[in-house]
Amino acid sequence: MSGLELRLVSLGAAVDYPPTPDLASAVERSLAPQAPRRSRARPLALGFAILLAVVAGVLAFSPGARSAFLELFRLQGATVTRFEALPEVELIDFDLGEHVTREEAERRVGFELVDLGEPDAIHLRAGRVVSLVYGPSERPRLVLSQFRGAVWDGFHKKAVGTGTTIENVTVRGEPGLFVSGDEHYVMFIDGDGLVNDERTALAGNTLLWNRGPLLLRLEADVPREEALELAESVE
Amino acid sequence: MVSRPPTEDELVERARRGDGAAFGTLVRDHQELAFRTAYLITRNAADAEDAAQTALVKAYSALPRFRRGAPLRPWLLAIVANEARNRLRSAARRDALTLRALHEAPLGDAAPSPEGTLLAAEERTRLLEAMEALGADDRIVLSCRYLLELGEEETAQVLSLRRGTVKSRTSRALARLRAQLGEDE
Repeated sequence: MSGLELRLVSLGAAVDYPPTPDLASAVERSLAPQAPRRSRARPLALGFAILLAVVAGVLAFSPGARSAFLELFRLQGATVTRFEALPEVELIDFDLGEHVTREEAERRVGFELVDLGEPDAIHLRAGRVVSLVYGPSERPRLVLSQFRGAVWDGFHKKAVGTGTTIENVTVRGEPGLFVSGDEHYVMFIDGDGLVNDERTALAGNTLLWNRGPLLLRLEADVPREEALELAESVE
Repeated sequence: MVSRPPTEDELVERARRGDGAAFGTLVRDHQELAFRTAYLITRNAADAEDAAQTALVKAYSALPRFRRGAPLRPWLLAIVANEARNRLRSAARRDALTLRALHEAPLGDAAPSPEGTLLAAEERTRLLEAMEALGADDRIVLSCRYLLELGEEETAQVLSLRRGTVKSRTSRALARLRAQLGEDE
């Protein structure tokens, strides 16, 4: 070994490494079998019962809130019904990341997740993209992903002639893009402000839209209007 | 009767059959090096933790593809290094490595080893700054070979390079480092 190589070895002992986290326990937790899934009927029934109780309670004290709560109830009911009927879709990108609990996902990405009801699985990829999977893991019905980012208008130009069609949409007053066609990829602005592109997870259509500092991405085999209705009901 | 602890091969077999605790034991044995490898690449503790954890979970899924009897450490580190490099490509933040204060640095024996483990604080800082000025490929290969003290073969596996490429890349990186330091061959 040359003098320089020996000095580098010595340097290695002086690097101020952060304390090693307990990776083994974290990995074991994420490998632990998922808690037995509750049947869908029960939580739904329970959810409806709670919602009705809340609606009744709020209406009793605040008649002015009536229309808003009825709208929420109607949308949620409609969403669940339609979601149950969604077709299963081929999963073309299997790398949705590791299985995590909702609490762990929220802790690691630093924002509160939104959803369309309790998902069948939650995945975290690259420490920043959370995907809620609805339906069987091999052929999900719907994947709702969320991460820090924003829709990118330049996607229109990039997609010209690629077999991808992009339409401007609005979800709850914020801009979005409905992406359909043969090619399954999306372009967006990521959390670092850089333009990024990715394969989509499902071989269906994709709706991208902003919600505050987050970019939400809904993938399912649904036409535009249905995707928009689902997006509107994400809470 | 005292039972002996399971060997690495036995733990790998158990993990292959779905024993998450056995895999956890394997990870515990290698987690410090896995984290440091990720950290030397990403130079950010949070990114390194995420990269290492994501990679280790992927490794568990990939165990059926792991060649029985092969050393586990370079295989795990290769997955970690790959995940960390992906993170490096997408990260806007670029932190620099820092050094421990001199009094915290390992002092070694009273009689310094022939390698002369005690570098003056300024010398370490100068060396580290010169490392930081190198390109990512140079920095990563030197980090594996000298800071983590991985052999040529193991570095080749970890960085998915041929051994000859590691050799030539290391040699070129050392030359560039010498130039940074203003030192002759």
